[in-house]
Amino acid sequence: MDLLRAKVLSNEEIMPSTHVLALASPELGRTAAPGQFVHIRSGPTWDPLLRRPMSIYKIRPDGVSIMVRAIGAGSTMIAASVPGGWLDCLGPLGTPFELGPDSRRLLMVGGGYGVAPLVALAELALPRDCEVVLLVGAASAQYVFPSALLPTDVEYEVATVDGTLGHHGLVTELAARYLEWSDAIYACGPTPMLRAVALAARPLARAGGGAVPSTKRVELAMEQDMGCAMGVCLACVVKTRRGLQRVCRDGPVFRAEELVWESSA
Amino acid sequence: MSRMGVDLAPRNMHGLSLINPVMVASGTFGYGVEYQSLVDIQRLGGICSKGVTVRPRDGNPTPRIAETPSGMLNAIGLQNVGLRRVISEKAPIWDRWRVPVIVNISGESIQEFEELAASLEGVPGVAGLEVNISCPNIRAGGRLFADCTESAAAVTRATRDVTSLPLMVKLSPNVGDIVSIAVAVEEQGADCISLANTLLGMTIDVRTGRPGIANVSAGLSGPAIRPIIVRMVYQVAAAISVPIVGVGGVTCTEDALQYLMAGATAVQVGTANFVNPRVALEIVDGLDAYLDAHGYAHVSEVVGIALPSRRAVPTSGVC
Repeated sequence: MDLLRAKVLSNEEIMPSTHVLALASPELGRTAAPGQFVHIRSGPTWDPLLRRPMSIYKIRPDGVSIMVRAIGAGSTMIAASVPGGWLDCLGPLGTPFELGPDSRRLLMVGGGYGVAPLVALAELALPRDCEVVLLVGAASAQYVFPSALLPTDVEYEVATVDGTLGHHGLVTELAARYLEWSDAIYACGPTPMLRAVALAARPLARAGGGAVPSTKRVELAMEQDMGCAMGVCLACVVKTRRGLQRVCRDGPVFRAEELVWESSA
Repeated sequence: MSRMGVDLAPRNMHGLSLINPVMVASGTFGYGVEYQSLVDIQRLGGICSKGVTVRPRDGNPTPRIAETPSGMLNAIGLQNVGLRRVISEKAPIWDRWRVPVIVNISGESIQEFEELAASLEGVPGVAGLEVNISCPNIRAGGRLFADCTESAAAVTRATRDVTSLPLMVKLSPNVGDIVSIAVAVEEQGADCISLANTLLGMTIDVRTGRPGIANVSAGLSGPAIRPIIVRMVYQVAAAISVPIVGVGGVTCTEDALQYLMAGATAVQVGTANFVNPRVALEIVDGLDAYLDAHGYAHVSEVVGIALPSRRAVPTSGVC
């Protein structure tokens, strides 16, 4: 982890307002792992003020690619980065997803551009003899992650809220079919989706484990408004069984059984 | 003492000597350890710890922060590990450091301030106390001690009476008459004052029609507030004789110089640490270069030169 300037090698809009930026940084490429993020300044001035956390989408020896959705002033500036330009990066930060030594059937559930770290994880898992089912939910067809960008060995299903592509409904409804099959579950997306994944996986874990708590791996990459991303400002906390934990430092990836969900969430 | 060194507690038996006038502000640098892998923290003038309370606190619900034009709102709510763990776990680390750590203490009553100050007296690794009478996010009883002259003076007196440690009293900018509060705090034994805490503000999420921060009211920080605090430092500097530490929106050498010229002996860098963890050290180097470029023998020669009594003009250019 370090403060570094990374050159933008390419910028491709893969979905409306959603860009993949390839960054040149051997340090990021060497140290980053799926689930981690890079905290990026939107420009040289102090407005917008804060860095923006961006998911790592691809990892190469010479750098990483990040996925950026232009939703506010800062992310729009980062998404508009021109190849040849530089980005002020802090990273890689946070805890990565972990592949268990015995996990072979991986269920991945992504909401919107939450698919980004799951693509990186799938690319890590496939050469390790894992089967990967990736389920992605989006508001409508135009926001569905293009299947052409996935490794061919990934089994890919989509759900759209408006029914314009794939399953008409929520991605978590698709997930139910793969819960039994999977021996590990990874999810990234909006908090309600993560909560639904955690709750759906829970009874299964109990049934499988009997009186002994199941060891089935369910890992969730949490979202929370972030300030420093260094564990200092304490903005991005979530409730866990060990008390409040920082998404930036103790996460973003948490084991599902660690998290305590607000009843209204 | 080098030409960058300052003493923030010249009247105190221990003194509070900094190798340079650039500190990091409470709540923006944790307990000092968090940034160690990125920043040579021993080159900082001083570190003000995360606010410490008598008992551990979980703080406020989320969302706790929101970005604003050239600034941010926060309502963390003083989440911290509590006095006992600060003494047992953090102070022994600080004791091995050259950089002085000033423990920011926050009480909900005068008795709590006394307990915090008395407990930290004599603890190795604690160079001084920053008495936080101005945190806007925990309003026990609905008022801040910093809100009025009498309560600000009372907390200062009470802590002064139980500790020999250098006392830096952190004032609130959310008051009508900052000068009279500063004067009262000086009279009651503050060794220096830090000016100021965050400004009260709020934001509304128009998608939900609800306040953007769970606590509703929050503290505004960052470059947006700098002109307000520079003005306060300028006013207070003319009225008190103990050192002032300027805090509010310092992002670069020029910002730090504004505070020094307005009469501050030192500055604290706060929110800018979140954006550039190395910015305080860049300012240290920038001030050093400024002294060189303008022929100053000591940083104190810059202090207060903007004040009416000390009208003077730097020889050329800017930093």
